[in-house]
Amino acid sequence: MNCKELAYMLADYCNGSMDPRLREELDDHLSRCEPCMAFTKTFRATCEGTRKLREAIEYAIPAEVRERLGTFVRAAALKYPEKMREYRDQIERDRREKVADLVSAATAGKLSSASALLMESHCAACPECSGYFDALRSTGTPPAGDPPAGIRSHLIALMQALPPGEEFFLA
Amino acid sequence: MSAERWKDDEALLESLRKGTPGAVDELLRLYQGKIFNLAMSILKNESDAEEAAQDVFMTVIRKADTFQGNSAFYSWIYRICVNTCLMRLRGKRRNETVSIEEFMPVFTDEGMHASPMDDWSKEVERDALNEELGQMIRKYTEELSEKYRVVFVLSDVEGLSNEETAKILGLTVPAIKSRLHRARLYLREQLSRYLLEGKAG
Ligand SMILES: [Zn+2]
Ligand SMILES: [Zn+2]
Repeated sequence: MNCKELAYMLADYCNGSMDPRLREELDDHLSRCEPCMAFTKTFRATCEGTRKLREAIEYAIPAEVRERLGTFVRAAALKYPEKMREYRDQIERDRREKVADLVSAATAGKLSSASALLMESHCAACPECSGYFDALRSTGTPPAGDPPAGIRSHLIALMQALPPGEEFFLA
Repeated sequence: MSAERWKDDEALLESLRKGTPGAVDELLRLYQGKIFNLAMSILKNESDAEEAAQDVFMTVIRKADTFQGNSAFYSWIYRICVNTCLMRLRGKRRNETVSIEEFMPVFTDEGMHASPMDDWSKEVERDALNEELGQMIRKYTEELSEKYRVVFVLSDVEGLSNEETAKILGLTVPAIKSRLHRARLYLREQLSRYLLEGKAG
């Protein structure tokens, strides 16, 4: 062990977690090397100083900061479920609108080419959706209310499959 | 970390998830001081630390639902705090910090000490120097770059184990040990220069 190696092993040496054989080697070096002895003692004193500093630090949070922080967090936490509900409602409204647009565009044959393709291949495999749209086209009138939940979820998935920025109906 | 602490945390997390009245008060009671102090030691500025603490608590409340519980709650909240603070630092002009390399011990090619060593350990054991030493350690720690400072604060100031610190920072235990050791070597060197200069002057 040389002085450099010793310096980089001191942490384990000081906290007592060092392997006994290494420790013996280190002690042997220390007994023969004055600079390392001084280095080790001052390193220990540094660690000791930090430990004392840790004891001296109290968890002080200024009273006015505690007050303000508490008020802010409590108020925000109260509003949070409300905000979440608003946010979910907004998403739900947007979705409903989009599904309605998609259904009327499909009924009127006004789908863009990309979404017409998607719709066609989906309906070929999905009797539920093809039945629904066939009925709509035969009457030619837009549906009253939302499509049934199953069909609705298929349509949402279809819209999400469109490339971003792609409109699903013709202008 | 004590079993007591664990149980407190488990119960707290559960009540945060359910939105039990008083859950937020309990969260603040247990963590307000710790989070503010941790933020202070990273950001070194009271109003920054206060804003960071606000962000931390909001993140905890928002994410309590999705917290997986494969790490301890306190280590999760510390991690959120460290990340929040580091993100704030990133957005700012970096504070002028010293280079830790300048304060590493110097060795010859054969690995021997390149300069004579002074043993000042006896001097700092005298009570008169204790407080001054503490102040110096604080000052020099603040000058460390955050890479070292965060590790040093969690380990030596917060008293967390290397394993806990590693989990919080997402680093390996050897990486933590090495940063911590370098931070201590740096401190030793700074104190050395300070004390020897004092003697000379
Ligand atoms: Zn030596
Ligand atoms: Zn379908």
